Amino acid sequence: MDKMIICRCEEVTLGDIKDTAEQYDATAREIKLRTRAGMGYCGGRTCRPAVDKVLEDITGEKPGDQIPLKVQPPVRPVTLATLGGRTNDT
Amino acid sequence: MHDVIIIGAGPAGLSAAIKCREWDLNVVVIDEFPQPGGRLLGQLHQEPNGEWWNGIKETDALLQQATDLNTDIRCGVSAHHIEKTNNGYIIHTNEGILESQKLLIATGAAESAAPVPGWTLPGVMSIGAAQVMTNVHRVRVGQKGIIVGVNVLSAAIARELQLAGIDLHSMMLPIKSSVTAEHAHPKKVMDGLVRIAHLAPSAFLRFGSTFAKMNWIRHLAVQFYPRGGVKMWGMPIHVRKAVKEIHGTEHVEAVTVCRVTPDGEEIQGTEERVDVDFVCIAGGLYPLTELAAVAGCPFQYVESLGGHVPVHNDRMETPLDGLYVAGNITGIESAKVARAQGEVAGLSIAKSVMDAVELIEHGIDNAIANVLETRKAASIQFHPDIHEGRAKVAEAFVEHTQTQ
Amino acid sequence: MTHKQMRIIDHPVLGAMNERDIMTFTFDGHTYKGFKGDTIASALLANGIRQLRVHEERGTPRGIYCNIGHCFECRTTVNGVSGVRACLTPLKDGMVVTSGQTEPVPLNSEHDVDELPRTYTEFIQKQKAHEAGDSDA
Ligand SMILES: Cc1cc2nc3c(=O)[nH]c(=O)nc-3n(C[C@H](O)[C@H](O)[C@H](O)COP(=O)(O)OP(=O)(O)OC[C@H]3O[C@@H](n4cnc5c(N)ncnc54)[C@H](O)[C@@H]3O)c2cc1C
Ligand code: FES
Repeated sequence: MDKMIICRCEEVTLGDIKDTAEQYDATAREIKLRTRAGMGYCGGRTCRPAVDKVLEDITGEKPGDQIPLKVQPPVRPVTLATLGGRTNDT
Repeated sequence: MHDVIIIGAGPAGLSAAIKCREWDLNVVVIDEFPQPGGRLLGQLHQEPNGEWWNGIKETDALLQQATDLNTDIRCGVSAHHIEKTNNGYIIHTNEGILESQKLLIATGAAESAAPVPGWTLPGVMSIGAAQVMTNVHRVRVGQKGIIVGVNVLSAAIARELQLAGIDLHSMMLPIKSSVTAEHAHPKKVMDGLVRIAHLAPSAFLRFGSTFAKMNWIRHLAVQFYPRGGVKMWGMPIHVRKAVKEIHGTEHVEAVTVCRVTPDGEEIQGTEERVDVDFVCIAGGLYPLTELAAVAGCPFQYVESLGGHVPVHNDRMETPLDGLYVAGNITGIESAKVARAQGEVAGLSIAKSVMDAVELIEHGIDNAIANVLETRKAASIQFHPDIHEGRAKVAEAFVEHTQTQ
Repeated sequence: MTHKQMRIIDHPVLGAMNERDIMTFTFDGHTYKGFKGDTIASALLANGIRQLRVHEERGTPRGIYCNIGHCFECRTTVNGVSGVRACLTPLKDGMVVTSGQTEPVPLNSEHDVDELPRTYTEFIQKQKAHEAGDSDA
């Protein structure tokens, strides 16, 4: 079961996340930085609830009102040309 | 500079746009999906009175109104960032930048996964993916499949797949892990099902009444759950069996299933291989709040609403000036509730752009009452404690505005 | 399954599929047909194609997962533009679609990917083991 992939984008497994969480007493943010879970192409949309669940299981606590893993823009991958601020709104 | 930008052309976004256009606001609706309608498009279920809720028809009705009012709806436009300025919002999209005075985020929900080993293979998809492929694109997702996760959404969509002539082996739980927790727990799954069964479509109703409403019977039902499952529309539903692994090299070829105890632990020596060419995973829905988060909106964690939701009041205002939310981003509920919330948001926005007009104020009160009524009458409910959840968010809004 | 069997032509509640224009496109060099109104993903599935890419590093096969633009598992290269979500992109006549491939990992090229540390913890462990090994020699 520990070999099961949780973060599909970065192929981070349940074991990777559990080990990291236990070893470092880590928050979702730290887990993200250390394992790369949620740092792939999709921005964590698929694995975010799963990572939160693993943490809940380890710490026995429900998430607080703050979103455990800060959402970073852009929330969709964009090309540099788009980021350059092409405007077509008149 | 537009009066209002609406992100999301689902039932919430569309109904809000209609209200804004009725007050002649300059509105742009954007959506990244190729056609408007959001998740409403794929919906198809029978109401308890036997009538069909046909998402395509419901969408057409909304679109007709929107088109009659010359609403600017742009599909294939994906928003990736929002900035708040002194007098409004800047919305960054793949098609460039849009600016508006007011912003409504109506981005709906996303699916949580209930992962089982092997779930990255092609042919494994979320239950919603199968719904859209079947009812919107009219393509069968496979010849024979199995559904992992027993809940109100997967039951509704299982029926939709059957209607489209797709063969389903059964519906069962995901194997227990720290991620699948409550989805893999037979007793909890059964509790959830029975609590919503009285609201749900016909066959589901029968499923629920098989197990009465008393806790001890539910307990016995889980204890002595029939090996062959309980059939709904001819398809076995198992709460004492789980999918343990998905196999295949290039795509799904089979799954291993096993029996589980009433607490969801695997019963050794009960493994069985089932040949399937697709697997649907149903781990529930959560509000898709990412854009509200980058805009800087405060959040509240409410389990019965599906997780973190932007703080808002019953007028769909957030504590951020000019930022509104409506639909499933505020909590997981049926499309009818989303549509009713959209009307409130549209009117609230109209009121703030047009200054206080008595007529709008009256409309808002009616629209809010309509949300409450729709919620009460909903035939599909995702969580039994929805009312408590809504109350909690309303309190949070008061707290936030008082501390500001 | 043949093309015809994958399509839901008749539906007991939604009715018959309306007449749609046929479009021709290629996927990894092979020519296929789809309908106007299809997305790239639905047209490919209707042709029995599930695998849209492989994981860039590990090479594991992937196909659609969410079908509504959230997971980015369906990204393909369309008319030379990479990272395009097949599930959100309307099919157009003459489209040239290619599947996502493994990408060379230049720094790690002499390693087998499965041996690379997967986490920071593992990295430190491997580094320590490596150092220990070095001092032994
Ligand atoms: C897969 C799935 C299946 C569902 N099936 C059912 C069902 O069978 N029955 C039921 O009652 N409820 C179902 N629901 C619940 C559903 O969320 C509500 O019924 C209803 O559709 C919510 O309406 P909405 O307007 O809030 O959001 P939606 O209908 O989800 O519309 C939101 C729209 O926002 C767009 N969007 C999101 N992010 C961006 C962005 N960054 N840029 C541009 N556009 C964006 C999306 O493309 C989408 O079209 C389902 C939800 C999901 C996710
Ligand atoms: S399948 Fe998830 S983004 Fe296309």
